Amino acid sequence: MTIRAPQDVIEDMAGIHGSVFWAADVSDGWDDVRTELVAAFEFSRAAAKAGEPLVFVVRTDDLLGRRGAGRAMVATGLLSAARSLALETTKANVPINVLAVEEGTASSSVALWVNQLLIQGGPTGELVRMGASHIGKALP
Amino acid sequence: MSLSVVTGAAGGIGRSICARLCDRGDEVIAVDLSDRLADLEGVTPVQVDLNTDAGIEQVAAAVGSSTIRLLVNNAGITRDARLVNLNDEDFASVIEINLGAAYRLSRRLIPSMRAGSSIVSLASRAYLGNFGQFNYSMSKGGIVGMTRAFAIELAPGIRANAIAPGLIETEMALGIPDEVREKMISAIPLDRMGRPDEVADLVAFLSESSYITGEVVVIGGGRSLT
Repeated sequence: MTIRAPQDVIEDMAGIHGSVFWAADVSDGWDDVRTELVAAFEFSRAAAKAGEPLVFVVRTDDLLGRRGAGRAMVATGLLSAARSLALETTKANVPINVLAVEEGTASSSVALWVNQLLIQGGPTGELVRMGASHIGKALP
Repeated sequence: MSLSVVTGAAGGIGRSICARLCDRGDEVIAVDLSDRLADLEGVTPVQVDLNTDAGIEQVAAAVGSSTIRLLVNNAGITRDARLVNLNDEDFASVIEINLGAAYRLSRRLIPSMRAGSSIVSLASRAYLGNFGQFNYSMSKGGIVGMTRAFAIELAPGIRANAIAPGLIETEMALGIPDEVREKMISAIPLDRMGRPDEVADLVAFLSESSYITGEVVVIGGGRSLT
């Protein structure tokens, strides 16, 4: 179990079997964006080498570019990377998914869904969006 | 005369975009790292490394006080490997050139745009996922996010859209072993590779469409369905 998430969320994720990378709120500066993408790459490569299932957690608003370009590039970049990695881990039955959350989503609910998305034999390469703010909007 | 800036101009798709924009009467600043820029006719060549601040400033200097009607972010590279074998350098170079350079150049040139200007960025169908392209997919997915954020931030005056090409007849595609390429084509409902001029036509269309912004248009012969 390897979790990179806000401290208040980590407590709710105790007992999770897999890796979780929660995208940080970055600025619109390229240096910040690059640092976050490199962190995601290194985290993902370590998970892949360990054969661990992986869930990226992003904000729904960021998938749609609502909170600035920096956060949008990170969120959509992680989504696309997750899809590619899922193709590489399918034979080994290692799920790679993305969970999109809204402002104020309870961390216990996030933990529940992260756990679901880490289950072998379940969905992979999938985006699950919590809440309803994505309905009627663009498909990421 | 309208001014357009095209990056990755020396490659197959970039050349077609430059030719298409010249045909419609644009003044075109063609940007690339390669000296093959010299082959392009009717453009202002700017041979620079967009991965550097100096390179970006050279493009800005070429624009000067002119108004940019269209910025086409087309420069890109691939360094494919399964993630477990992907090294730090190949990850970083793809992210920096495909996404970082596009973002930093856009930020630098937006002040030279006015109402009616637009940005068209080349993503890739790989933003939907592609084996062995964790880095490339991430960079092109990032282009999608950048496009959506720009569409919101720069509205109502400036529009931003992205194009996601599939297999296009470029030197890169023609360098794929024949049997592999034929297998790839067999999965395309339209049963052929796309042509660079078809991508160029789409760039021109998006730059002229006054009510489209924040969209990603996949041009892949239906490959996303099979």
